[in-house]
Amino acid sequence: NDEIKAKAIDRLEDILDRGINNSGRTSMFGPREYIGIYTTCYEMCTQRSPYNWSRDLYHRHGETIEKYLTTKVIPALREKTGQGGPILLNELQSRWLNHQIMNKWLKKFFTYLDRFYVKHHSLPTLHQAGLRHFRTHVYDDVKRDATGAILDLINDEREGRIIDKTLIKSIVALYEAMGMGSLDAYNADLESMLLESTRQYYSSKREEWIASDSTPDYLIKAEAALETERNRVNEYLNRSSEGKVLRVVEEEILQSVQMVLLEKEGSGCRALLANDKSEDLRRMHRLFARLENGLVPMASIVQGFISSMGNDCINKRQARLNDGEKEKADDPKFVKSLIALHEKYLGVVRDEFCGNSLFQKALKDAFVEIINKDIGQFSNAELMSTFCDRVLKSGGEKLTDDEVEKSLDRIVQLFSYLTDKDLFAEIYRNQLAKRLLNQRSASDDAEKIMIAKLKVQCGTHFTSKMEGMLGDLVVGDEQNREFESKMKEQKANLDFSVQVLTTGFWPTYKSPEVALSPDMSKCMDFFKQWHDRKHAQRKLTWIFSLGTATVRASFGKKTYDLLVTTLQAVALAQLNGGVTMGFEELAEKLNLEENILKPLMHSLSCGKHKVITKSPASNKVNLTDKFTANSKFTSNMRKIRIPMANLEASHNKHRVEEDRSTAIEAAIVRIMKARKTLAHQQLVAEVLAQLAFFKPNPRTIKKRIEALIEREYLERRSDNNNAYNYLA
Amino acid sequence: RTTSSSTTTTTTTQMWSGSSRKSRSSSSSHHHHHHHASSSSGNSSSSVKESFGVKLFDKYADPDDATNINMEGIVNLCTELDIDPLTDIRILVFLWKMGSKEKPQQISKEEWLAGCTKHKVDTIDHVRKMLPSLDTGFLIHSEFKDFFKFCFQFNREGTHKTLDRELVVELLRLVCGTGSYIAKERLDTYCDFLLSHKGTEYVRITLDQWTSFLDFCEEVPNLEYYDETTSAWPVLIDEYVEHMQSLQQKK
Repeated sequence: NDEIKAKAIDRLEDILDRGINNSGRTSMFGPREYIGIYTTCYEMCTQRSPYNWSRDLYHRHGETIEKYLTTKVIPALREKTGQGGPILLNELQSRWLNHQIMNKWLKKFFTYLDRFYVKHHSLPTLHQAGLRHFRTHVYDDVKRDATGAILDLINDEREGRIIDKTLIKSIVALYEAMGMGSLDAYNADLESMLLESTRQYYSSKREEWIASDSTPDYLIKAEAALETERNRVNEYLNRSSEGKVLRVVEEEILQSVQMVLLEKEGSGCRALLANDKSEDLRRMHRLFARLENGLVPMASIVQGFISSMGNDCINKRQARLNDGEKEKADDPKFVKSLIALHEKYLGVVRDEFCGNSLFQKALKDAFVEIINKDIGQFSNAELMSTFCDRVLKSGGEKLTDDEVEKSLDRIVQLFSYLTDKDLFAEIYRNQLAKRLLNQRSASDDAEKIMIAKLKVQCGTHFTSKMEGMLGDLVVGDEQNREFESKMKEQKANLDFSVQVLTTGFWPTYKSPEVALSPDMSKCMDFFKQWHDRKHAQRKLTWIFSLGTATVRASFGKKTYDLLVTTLQAVALAQLNGGVTMGFEELAEKLNLEENILKPLMHSLSCGKHKVITKSPASNKVNLTDKFTANSKFTSNMRKIRIPMANLEASHNKHRVEEDRSTAIEAAIVRIMKARKTLAHQQLVAEVLAQLAFFKPNPRTIKKRIEALIEREYLERRSDNNNAYNYLA
Repeated sequence: RTTSSSTTTTTTTQMWSGSSRKSRSSSSSHHHHHHHASSSSGNSSSSVKESFGVKLFDKYADPDDATNINMEGIVNLCTELDIDPLTDIRILVFLWKMGSKEKPQQISKEEWLAGCTKHKVDTIDHVRKMLPSLDTGFLIHSEFKDFFKFCFQFNREGTHKTLDRELVVELLRLVCGTGSYIAKERLDTYCDFLLSHKGTEYVRITLDQWTSFLDFCEEVPNLEYYDETTSAWPVLIDEYVEHMQSLQQKK
């Protein structure tokens, strides 16, 4: 019996030897032979002990493999080792394939062992055992050389040479298998070396490129390198290596030289921005976005660049002023340059930097810096508001409706960066009033659109007065129609209409108590009566410095319609009929102060249309001058507008200051009432947080605190000088 | 609640004018007031025998208003005591101890009597004996703080809440003369700063600015570490420090 058993095993071995020596053939054993062997095994394993051969078979299995590997396989491999990478790898590949076949057949033959003996004794399965033997005897021996060979091939491919990728792929499969269910072998024996060699490779490439290439060229190479490495991993390495390999490449060719690339003279980030190299910027963004916090230095450079461009705009304006250009609140060139700058980089952030929030912030911070840099007499707030005035008034910029809306939209974007928003609002309000009262507003809709945009930015409170102003005009129109019919009944000499303004919405105006002509006074009284009957609780105050009039003037045979202000009309009435009057006399008769009468008479006698003759003739009005109607006056036009100098300041600076003081105090009281007691710095911080439309400096806030202490809203705490108590 | 008024005054020494002043209450109908008759109605209920200091009160009371001793009376008291109100702080200490509180530049009868009772003062001799103890050196810190505040409050005029800066400087010199709470150099430089400051912000000084100065001298003896960004001190003091720092830089 024993002998037969031994023979069977030997016979098996024999067959196997033969079979294996005919390596490469998949179906080495025919079905009959297979069944024979299988049955022998079965019989051997199912014998009752001591005739059970399972253990022996199991050992024999191992020994067989071991012997084969050590005697046949290893020498073959060792022989090939010195002959070059591919040759070794090829040999390894075929040996591994062989082994897999052998393992498979052995397992098939000895399946019965697997089912019972192996399980029963918790031994490694035949398949596993087979692999382990391969690992111990072959793999461990050859892995270092194999890895080296693979890495060399990879580097060859990197240098552009063609390699046998399928070969490597199958060797990689071997490594994977050697992990017996995990990637440990692959990681330890191939991947970590791969990462190291990748690092070295790219480290030296980097040195080479950085010395000779411009930043855009370098980045193109870097991007290509990343792409190739990614493809490589997917083609013939284990996919889990992708992230790690790319990380190494990024570290070597991007991270370590990031600042050098960004700041390269002539081709770094700043240069790319200056030369509008959108494709290169896009690539730069793509690549640095891969690094952790990789975009931070770039965003910082972008911010600095935009700032410097903004400063250029400001310097250009300064240069024009230095050159002697007259300084006005109207500087469309400057405002347009800022708008253009903003539009441009808004686009760059959107297109080149994919709207990344770091770059949005860079743009914002740069503009906050620029827009709040005031030079000269007029603040940027005023320049911007005057630009709006241009856009919104008739005869200003010639724009289509669409262009108007775009312009306004862009101005509001700049406005959002302004610290002194309340100053802008005050100036805007004054200019709006002027447009509305002089009927110089190009489009009611446009006015509403702008106010709506401001409302979106700042809230209802910010625009309530402006809306009130528009509302007054609507109400005024209706009221006028009603009044007009009443006026007709009066059969007065004048066409007369009144615009009623709600105090508080409109700016405050001086109102000189000018002596009107009797006709005018009669109309006014009539209106007052009518109005008082309608609105008993409301008080009317006439503002003569506003208001327009059309005076029909006859000079010789020709008649003209002079479009003038109320004050000018009153003065003309005095000089009706060709009388001559001195300045002083006029002043007395009209009850006007010198500072008003002078610009008034100047407009009539020294401007483009000299309807009044001044003697002596000069460009300045003096107290000793005499005035009379200009009998020789002619003009080609029938309707003549005679403008007069503005009597009011562009805005009330004191008003803005006062409003700010009030706002600060209100905020302090609000906060202290809620908190009851608060330390100084916290109070200041919370006050600043609450003020949306301007930013006072800490001293200003302190002054308000002191004022409130004096008025006993607050007190300093006795136990802590640095804190306050609210006094109810 | 009114904002602090900023009226200008013409006299520089308001505290005590050499010439006697007319009393505040202008009603002349109170001319012949019999003091005894009125005092019995205003007695404090604490003492059994006749209140301390009644006779003394009557001696210095305002002839037009028997319920108060005004500045004229105080000056007279000083003369009697042979002290110079312009240079001697002790009269202020006296008035403070006596409890003048309700109205500036005077002490009411009620306050006076209570004070006399408290300090066992009935005759001018008693007052004279009190004089040595009125040195500010005897005041502990919390007392001095309270007294310091009193000096400001007492010297206000009528309903005004602020003092003229010239008066403030004088008062400071008077109050801090011998004391240890405010270093001489600090005092001198601060007074110089106040007087030479151009602009209208510090023409009048508020109570807060006055009391803060004392705290400032104690808490910040060394200007080197002064940090304006965290400071809750009044802006006046910030500007003083700024001024001192710029002087330092010029050296």
